[in-house]
Amino acid sequence: MRPQALIAEITHRCPLHCVYCSNPLAMQPRGDEMATDVWTRVFREAAALGALHVHLTGGEPVARPDLEELVRAARAANLYVNLITSGVGLSEGKLDALIDAGLDHLQLSFQDADEASANEFAGARAHARKLALAEIVRARQIGFTLNAVVHRQNLDRLDAIVAMAERLGADRLEIANVQYYGWAIENREKLMPTRRQLDACVAAVRTHQERLKGRMRIDFVPPDYYARYPKACMGGWGRSLMLIDPAGFVLPCHAAAVIPDLTFDNVQAHPLRWIWEESPAFQRFRGEDWMPEPCRSCDRRHEDFGGCRCQALLLTGNANATDPVCSLAPDRKLVDAVIARANAAGEEAAEWVYRIDPA
Amino acid sequence: MTPANIPRLARGCRLSEDPAQGWVLLIPEGVLRLSGPGPRILQRCDGSRSFADILRELGDEFAAPDAALVEAEAGAFLDRLVARRIVVVE
Repeated sequence: MRPQALIAEITHRCPLHCVYCSNPLAMQPRGDEMATDVWTRVFREAAALGALHVHLTGGEPVARPDLEELVRAARAANLYVNLITSGVGLSEGKLDALIDAGLDHLQLSFQDADEASANEFAGARAHARKLALAEIVRARQIGFTLNAVVHRQNLDRLDAIVAMAERLGADRLEIANVQYYGWAIENREKLMPTRRQLDACVAAVRTHQERLKGRMRIDFVPPDYYARYPKACMGGWGRSLMLIDPAGFVLPCHAAAVIPDLTFDNVQAHPLRWIWEESPAFQRFRGEDWMPEPCRSCDRRHEDFGGCRCQALLLTGNANATDPVCSLAPDRKLVDAVIARANAAGEEAAEWVYRIDPA
Repeated sequence: MTPANIPRLARGCRLSEDPAQGWVLLIPEGVLRLSGPGPRILQRCDGSRSFADILRELGDEFAAPDAALVEAEAGAFLDRLVARRIVVVE
């Protein structure tokens, strides 16, 4: 079993404060961030394990002053280098230096097509700067994905978001419904779409995909609370992806730190190969031995691997439970209750909980 | 794919040889594992050679007995990549 990709969270610092940020609530402080030479070794170890892609992300990866060196080191390790950025702090000169260092692809996040709303969800005046950066990226010879996170407050502007991606010359548009981990679960009530919004969104995405075939690819992440079966989270626990946080802790996904009885090992103390192949945290939910019923005897267990362990923990308090979004799960009623509230008429929660920056 | 078409890899797509995994086509969020003549075709999709040039070079390299079959298979291979926006045609 080899990892396809390494997600490298090189810093948790970020000038944005997005209300659905996937970073953990407890973030790694600047003082604990790993040095350039340690990351360089980690990239080589990941490539030796079989990883072909590295996603440099954060926080905001541009906040690292050594980003150019990190890109060069990842490319030298024979990895495909993707930068996942808000664009804030990325000047034209800096971008060109990253491209010279071997950057293959840039994924630029947008919060909305409407500037005031985008800035509200980001907790920062970032939208205009993103637009300016996109105009520069479109003229460069790197892959360009525009990522838009969608939810209750912006799904009604989906057509405008697609039009914006077309206008900005993206090769690919990722329309991702909010996943409820990290900061998003704090704002779940304000973010959860209605059934009507979801149905309209699915139909609109299909129409745009057909219309833009061969020009711009659209990938769609549905909101899994509305699904009948759970998502194959990360392609299965410890099967194809690993994430390394700013301080060097290696996790099977963005959210796994919420699972209380797991201990994650650090690349500064152990070889990455040992962590991937043998460490207790990566072994814990691999394969099928851990599965309860109804997963254990379910025909879909090879497709969805029992769903998401973090979601099971967050909703039921038990990381071993069947993902409660599954219609066969004993705890599906917990998800149905959230959906029922989202579709009932009534007052909305008043205030956003904004992501704060680490120390 | 017509003989005059000039195919090249789309931006953000890169051919790479991995010591353990062989020839792979790295694309945003994915990997295509290549076998047979795939890598040799894509190495020549550099925006300077036409599809006719590529076929001629493949013919020289492999001494393929059936040129029409090579053209049909290489053309279908590239057309599939064009539909996925991995290869673009001038």
